[in-house]
Amino acid sequence: MTPADRDGTPAVPPRPSVAVAGLALSYGGGSPVLDGVDLSLPAGSSLCVLGPNGGGKTTLFRALTGELTPLRGTVYVDGRPAYLAQTERTRLDFPVSALDVALMGSLANGRWWLPPRRADRAAALAALERVGLESRSDIRFGELSGGQRQRVLLARALVQEARVLLLDEPLAGVDPASGERIEALFRELRDEGRTLLVSTHDVDSARAFDRVLCLNHSQIAFGDPATALTRDALERTYGDEIVVLDDDGSGGPVRAVTVQHHHH
Amino acid sequence: MSLLASLPSPGDLVELPFMRTSLIELTLLGVAGGLLGAWIVLRRLAFFAHAVGTATFPGLVIADATGFSATLAGLAVALGYAGGVERAGRAGRDPGDVATALALVVALALGVVLASDVFESGAAVDRLLFGTALGLDDADLWVAAGAATLALAATVLLGRAWTATGFDAPGASAVGVPVRTGDLLLLGLIAITAVAALPAVGALLVASLFVVPAATARLLSRSVSRLLIVSVAVAVVQGAVGLYVSLWLDVPPGPAVAVVGSSLYAVVAFGTAVLRSRPAPNIVEAT
Repeated sequence: MTPADRDGTPAVPPRPSVAVAGLALSYGGGSPVLDGVDLSLPAGSSLCVLGPNGGGKTTLFRALTGELTPLRGTVYVDGRPAYLAQTERTRLDFPVSALDVALMGSLANGRWWLPPRRADRAAALAALERVGLESRSDIRFGELSGGQRQRVLLARALVQEARVLLLDEPLAGVDPASGERIEALFRELRDEGRTLLVSTHDVDSARAFDRVLCLNHSQIAFGDPATALTRDALERTYGDEIVVLDDDGSGGPVRAVTVQHHHH
Repeated sequence: MSLLASLPSPGDLVELPFMRTSLIELTLLGVAGGLLGAWIVLRRLAFFAHAVGTATFPGLVIADATGFSATLAGLAVALGYAGGVERAGRAGRDPGDVATALALVVALALGVVLASDVFESGAAVDRLLFGTALGLDDADLWVAAGAATLALAATVLLGRAWTATGFDAPGASAVGVPVRTGDLLLLGLIAITAVAALPAVGALLVASLFVVPAATARLLSRSVSRLLIVSVAVAVVQGAVGLYVSLWLDVPPGPAVAVVGSSLYAVVAFGTAVLRSRPAPNIVEAT
């Protein structure tokens, strides 16, 4: 919060870290797969993106990285965002070490045709130390645990000096101890003024975020989790995948979990 | 016994002028194929590399019968094929294994029909499909040298971008790596190198230069730089040994190189599997 000036005139609000207005996205110019997204995030805030598989979470991230050009609407991101895919989607058989992956962040300097410099290497090692993996820098990425792999991707984002981080299901398949460590890192990054956008299936974890966004081919809800996670919003987001755990009948926020229906 | 008795001297490879030319050709192709092969294996483009070689076959038959330049005809078909694959990939429609397999069958069938019924050049089919150690000329060497230079330059300049893209394309794209340009250059380079390899190993066995050495090297490498070095070394050695076998048994060099390379792969795969299955020493987890 920027304090108001002494004489009472309001200060100019800080420029948002991420701003999306009237956004519609499609693949190959077809009909929109995601429509009507409007959101704005200040620096140092966190957003939880909820939605079913195919609901548009990853599609939104692809627009924020610039990979997908909007059909309609505008997208603003402060600097070049880091994108952390689910680590199962990366190539686990690839012959790259944890250090090699962290070093990929230095490609953000735009000189991808040059070998890494000594300063890049130092930055990569410092980032691995920051995520607690300095002793594992020579281990092949695919041989690390799920939580360690996620931390290596965070190190890559640190080397990239990204001010906005997009994380796809960062805690999927991560054991609880590693999960706590990763969430502590998230808080540190946020305290440094970085903005985190995290997609997840875990409705309950959304409460820990500053904002929540519900997507199901269009924007269902956006706002403070204490008010946005209503039964109506969750049911429109997840359909019959949602199980509401406790509802006081006031139409306000509820606790709920999603269940994956397996069709045989 | 007669086979062993007719064993040629290894010195013939350098002393016989046509063998020397073939040896230089296969060494240059080994550098180009070894380097690109490493990227092909890392990026899972082996089937593409095989298809792009075979796709040139009908073009070569027409060029052979009409006296048109085989290099230019092959290049036109190969780059056209690579461009089609890249366009399909950009539109989010991976051509897929089935489409690639269909293209292979059509190219092979079309080439054979053209050769046997239209141009009646049946004798050329063997040479076009399997290559020749005889009749390679300086122009072939220059094309191979050009391909090797391009592959080396691209590996030095694009290696980091190709590695980052292959590991995690969306992440690399977000970092600012020119993913699409890099992919287009890789497909184009594979097409050019496949055409450079046609005179020596033929349209059907181009993959023996690209895929086999890199697959062997993959078993022995834990880093990308080591994969590149081992892949080139294997490609050059299998080229020389394959040429020697071709001289000895009087078979075209394409099949000889393919058999030598595949045997080497089998030996290394068996060896590494045996080593890996041996019980590991007891290591106490330190952390």
